[in-house]
Amino acid sequence: MKKTSIDRRRFIKLGSLASGGLVIGFSLPGQSLFTQTPFDCEYFQPSAYLRIDKKGKVTIFVAKQESGQGVDTALPMILAEELDVDLRDVNVEIAPYGTLKEGEHDTGGSQSVMQMYDVLRKAGATAKAMIISAAAKHWGVKPEICAADNGTVVNTANMARLNYGDLVCDAAALPVPAEVGLKSPKDFKLIGKTEKRTGLKNILTGKTKYGLDTKVPGMVYAAVLRCPVQDGKLISFDDSALKDMKDVLKVVSYKGTAAPMHVRDGVAVIATNSWTALKARDLVRVQWDITVGKGVNTDSLFKALEERTKSKPQIQVFDKGNVDKAQGETFTAQYSEPFLAHATIEPMNCIAAVNGDKVELWGGFQLPDWAVNTIIKEFGYKKENVKLNLTLMGGGFGRRLHFEPALEVVKIAQQFDKPVQVIWDRVDDTRFDAFRPASVHKLEAKLDKNGKLLAWQHHIAGPSISIMTEGPDTKNLAENLGGADKDFWYDVPNVRTGFSSVNFNINRGWLRAVEICVNTFAVESFIDEIALHLKKDPLAYRLSLLEGRPAFDVRQYGTIVKQEPQRIAGVLKLAAEKIGWTDKREPNHFVGIATHSFIFARAYAAHAIEIEVTGDKKFRIKKIVGAIDCGLVINPDGLRNQMEGAIVFGLSQVLKGEITVQDGKVAEDGFYSYELLRFDEMPPVEIYTVDSKEEPGGVGEVGLPTVSPALCNALAAAGMRPRNLPIRKDGYSWS
Amino acid sequence: MASITLNVNNKEYTVDADPDMPLLWVLRDKLELTGTKYGCGVASCGACMVLLDGAAVYSCQRAVATCVKKKITTIEGLSEDGTHPLQKAWEKVGVPQCGYCQSGQIIAAAGMLNKYKRPTEEMIDQVMSSNLCRCGTYHRIREAIHIAIEEINK
Ligand code: FES
Ligand code: FES
Repeated sequence: MKKTSIDRRRFIKLGSLASGGLVIGFSLPGQSLFTQTPFDCEYFQPSAYLRIDKKGKVTIFVAKQESGQGVDTALPMILAEELDVDLRDVNVEIAPYGTLKEGEHDTGGSQSVMQMYDVLRKAGATAKAMIISAAAKHWGVKPEICAADNGTVVNTANMARLNYGDLVCDAAALPVPAEVGLKSPKDFKLIGKTEKRTGLKNILTGKTKYGLDTKVPGMVYAAVLRCPVQDGKLISFDDSALKDMKDVLKVVSYKGTAAPMHVRDGVAVIATNSWTALKARDLVRVQWDITVGKGVNTDSLFKALEERTKSKPQIQVFDKGNVDKAQGETFTAQYSEPFLAHATIEPMNCIAAVNGDKVELWGGFQLPDWAVNTIIKEFGYKKENVKLNLTLMGGGFGRRLHFEPALEVVKIAQQFDKPVQVIWDRVDDTRFDAFRPASVHKLEAKLDKNGKLLAWQHHIAGPSISIMTEGPDTKNLAENLGGADKDFWYDVPNVRTGFSSVNFNINRGWLRAVEICVNTFAVESFIDEIALHLKKDPLAYRLSLLEGRPAFDVRQYGTIVKQEPQRIAGVLKLAAEKIGWTDKREPNHFVGIATHSFIFARAYAAHAIEIEVTGDKKFRIKKIVGAIDCGLVINPDGLRNQMEGAIVFGLSQVLKGEITVQDGKVAEDGFYSYELLRFDEMPPVEIYTVDSKEEPGGVGEVGLPTVSPALCNALAAAGMRPRNLPIRKDGYSWS
Repeated sequence: MASITLNVNNKEYTVDADPDMPLLWVLRDKLELTGTKYGCGVASCGACMVLLDGAAVYSCQRAVATCVKKKITTIEGLSEDGTHPLQKAWEKVGVPQCGYCQSGQIIAAAGMLNKYKRPTEEMIDQVMSSNLCRCGTYHRIREAIHIAIEEINK
C-alpha cells in the first residue's frame, strides 16, 4: 500500500529535483504509454504533454491544475516555444488523470513552472526533432538543413515547406531521439512575451466548467449536515419533516474519518437539485455529541500560545553562533496572527459515481494522487477501479490540496445508485475549512552599544498543520519557513529559532504561502521595529544587513537551495525607488517597506506602501508598489496578475481576515462575517519585475507575505505599530 | 411544483420547478446554464448575477416565479460571440485569474452601463463592490470598465 500521508514538502522536493539543471536525454514521463506503430497513426503523441493530429492541430496537455494561477498558459508557452508553433493555434487541455507519473499532477508551493520548465522544453524539442527528421527523410536531405518555422518544416536548400500535420505519421514511426538541442534563450519568441490566457474567451462567455458546473448524466445533489465540532459524534437524526418533499430522494448518514482529512460525521440529504438538497437539509433534526468542543476557544488559545512562547521552544529549528553569549541591550516584541479560511468563491464540491467495486470522481484537486491513494486506502478500492476526472477550480490557494468532499461523496454515493455531487454552501465552506493556523511569535534581539544586531531569536507557537494531516507522530511539526528556519537573509552572527506546537481541535491546512506568510510578518515587522528603535531608516538598516553578503547554500527538505541576499537587496531597492522612498512627502503621508525570500520557489519580493494618516488609528492606502525577482519570466502579464492578486489577498489578511472558534465551533459563516477586500477598497497598485536571466522561479505565493508587514511598517512610521492581525482587532480603520 | 416559462437569452424554456426555487438554481440545475455561478446564496458575493430586463440582480435572491415574463440575460447570452464591449475590454486587459467570479463581474458592469453610459468613479465603486473576487482582479476590472465606457461612448 502506498503511503498516503503527504505534505507540501513532498512536492517541493520533487520540484527541487526536477530543477537540477538541464538534463538532456532523459526519457519523457509517460512515454511508454504512447509508443505508436505507423499503422494506428491518427496523431503523433510522443509524450503525455502533447499530441499533433494529421491536420497539424496541436493539443498541449497541462500537467498542473489550473486554479487561476495561469498554468494553462505559462506551461503551454514553454512547450510551444520549443515546438515552434503559434500558441493561438494550440488546443490546451488538462492532462487526464493517470497519464502522468505519480506526483506530476501535484500543484502547489508555486512549483509548477520550476518543475515543468525543463521537461516541457525537452518535450517540445523532441517532438520537433522527430518531425524535422521525418521531413528530411521525405525530402531525402540531411535534417541539419531543415528548420522548423511556426508549425511547418522548411527545407532551407530549396525553401520547400511541409506542415507538421503532413509529417506526424512518419514522425510517429521514428525512434525517440536520446538527445535533442534546446533553443538559446535569446531566440525565444514566446517565453518572456505577454500572452493572453488560453482559456480566456471561455471564461468571458460562461463556457468554462469548474467542478461545481460539471454535469454527469443522471446525477443528483447532496447537501450535508456536518458535526459542528471536529471529532464530535452523530447520535441520531430525524428526517420526518422531509417525507412529503418530492424532490428529496434519500437521507443517509455516515461516520467521519481522522487524518489526513478529518471528515466529520454527517447526514446527507440527496435531492434532484441543489436547492432542494440545501433547503431540506435545514429541516433535518440531528443530535450530536459535541462535548469534545467544550472550552475550545480561540481567545484561550491565544493566551496559551502567548504563555508558551515564554519558555523554551519544543523544537529548536535553527541555531547559529551562541545567542546566550551575545551581550547587549535586549529588545523584544510579540506578534499574533489568526486562523484564516481560504474562501475560494467556488465552494468545495465533488461528484462520485459508485458502481459495485468501482468509483469514478469529478472535481478539482491540487494533489490528485493523494486523494486517489487515500480513497483506495480508506474504502478498499483497487487502484485500477478508481477513476478521477480533473476539472478546473474556481480558486485554490491551497484549499484544494485537501479533499474532504471527495471522501464525503464516496461515503454518500456508496448508499445511492446514481452519481452524486456533494455541494458545500458558503456556510459549510467557511466553517469546515482546513484553516491556516493561528500563531503567536516572540522575537528577541540583542543590540550592542553601537546598535549592531548581535543576536536574533524567534519562537513560534501555534497548532501545527502536519499534526492534522499526518497524525500525532509527524516529523514535520515545526512551521518556521519564511523566518530563520535556516540561516536567513539578514547577516546576524547569532540566531536561534524554534517552534512549539499547541493542540487545538480544529482542522488545519495550507493557505497560500502558509507559514512563509505568517513568519515573514513577524520577521519584517521586527526588523523594522529594531531600525526605528535605533532611529535608523528602515530601508537603509535592512540594506546594511544585506550589504556584501554573498549567496549561500541552505538545506531544505533534503535538497540544497540558495539564499541570495543580493537579490533581496535588489527587490528592496526597486520597491523603494518606485515608491519614491526618499521623496519629500505630503503632510501625514508615510511609507513602509518589507521584503522576503521564497527560496524554494527561487523568488524574492518586496512591497512598499504609502499611506495617509487621517486620525488616530485611521488611515487611507495611497499606493502599493510590488517588486519581484523570480528569474526568467514566462508570461509577464500572468506574473503581474498574480502579483496584483496577491496584494488583494494580503490586504484581506492584514485588514480583515479572522476565523474565531467558540466551544469548538467556528463562529464565522460566510462573507458577511469573514470579510474579503472589496472593489471600492482597492488602492492603486504598481508591479515591477527585476529583469533576470536566472532560472525561472515560482510566482503564485511570492507576492503575498510582504503586504501585511509593509502596511504595518507604514503605520509604524506614523507612530502606530500594529502587532496583531487583522489590525482592525486593535481598532485600526481605513477608508 | 409548477410549469414555468422563462425567457432566457432570447429563448423560451419551460421548466417544472418549485415557484420558490431561486432563479440561480433553475438556470444551473434545470437548464444547465452554468455560466451563472453559485458563491454564497445570500447576496454577499455577486457570482450569481444575471440581467433581469437589463438590470443586474442576484439570481440567488430571485424566486423563479418572479422572473416570468421578464427578459433574463445570463453571461452565455450577453452577446452572440463574446463581443459585448465589456467582454472585449475584459479580454484586452486580461482580467481573469480563476475566472469563477467573472461572469458575475461582467454582468454587474453590464447592468450599470445599461443604466448609465458614463458612470462616475463613485458609481463604479458602489456597483462593483457587490461582487467579490478572491483572486484579486479588482484593479483590472476597473481598467476594463473604463475601456468599455470609452467604447460605448464612441
Ligand atoms: S451567490 Fe448570489 S450573491 Fe453570492
Ligand atoms: S478571478 Fe478568481 S474569484 Fe475572481
